[in-house]
Amino acid sequence: MTRERFISEVRACQGRLRRFLTSLCGDPALADDLAQEALVRAYVNSGRFIGNFKAWVFRIGYNCFIDNLRRVHEPSTTMDSPEVMHVAAATSSDEAFRHEELQRALVLIPEKERTAIVLHYFEDLPIKEIASIMQISSGTVKYYLSVGRDHLKQHIRL
Amino acid sequence: MKDIEQFLRENAPEMPDEGQFMIETNARLNDVEGIKKTVDGERRRGRIALIIALLTGLVIGCMLTLLVLFFPADSLQADSSAFLKAFESLQSNKEILFGVIAILAIALGVVFLPNRRRAM
Repeated sequence: MTRERFISEVRACQGRLRRFLTSLCGDPALADDLAQEALVRAYVNSGRFIGNFKAWVFRIGYNCFIDNLRRVHEPSTTMDSPEVMHVAAATSSDEAFRHEELQRALVLIPEKERTAIVLHYFEDLPIKEIASIMQISSGTVKYYLSVGRDHLKQHIRL
Repeated sequence: MKDIEQFLRENAPEMPDEGQFMIETNARLNDVEGIKKTVDGERRRGRIALIIALLTGLVIGCMLTLLVLFFPADSLQADSSAFLKAFESLQSNKEILFGVIAILAIALGVVFLPNRRRAM
């Protein structure tokens, strides 16, 4: 893959990749760092790439997120965590409040459930593609979606 | 169930602006490309040096083999006993010489193999 083609593919999917990573880690700056790390890894291995570029980059991004969790020994996020407080402090309207409430709830559920929820509902990806990104079976994705929804309900007032 | 699904779909975060991100990504890719070029150059130089060494060994080995096969030690009228001794020992150990040539040929094949794979 040439540099130009790589850049044009990146341009097409960078927004969704960053939104995905921001939803996973709850911190836009960290998400951008992870996205760039993922894109560098993708670029280094772009010679070996065949298939769906977006799914491939999402998988690398997800792996970067997991690596980062392992590096920092995932801090247990609570309602009092700085990122949650930061999001809550910016409340200005109903819509903004709902976004913040959702982001706050997302960081409270386990990382695999969060990933399945974000990919399915925010990125609108089919179960099969989510399974390939998370490198698990379709059945397990469905399980994480179901359990994740139940967990989210405990933190969101509908 | 529908409520939470609807809530999630309706409240998907907006996509962030491209803004500074692509500029920073491009800068990082430039850095990576520079490192990649340096590493590739070093690998290429190392490979060329290895191939030259192997080819030199192969050519010298073949020449020695021909010498051993076409000029038996008895027919040589050399005054230098050291040269004669070396030649005799080469003749008596020609299996080792052939073995070394075979190993060099295999090594050359192995060195060229990754290139062929990459080309595919």
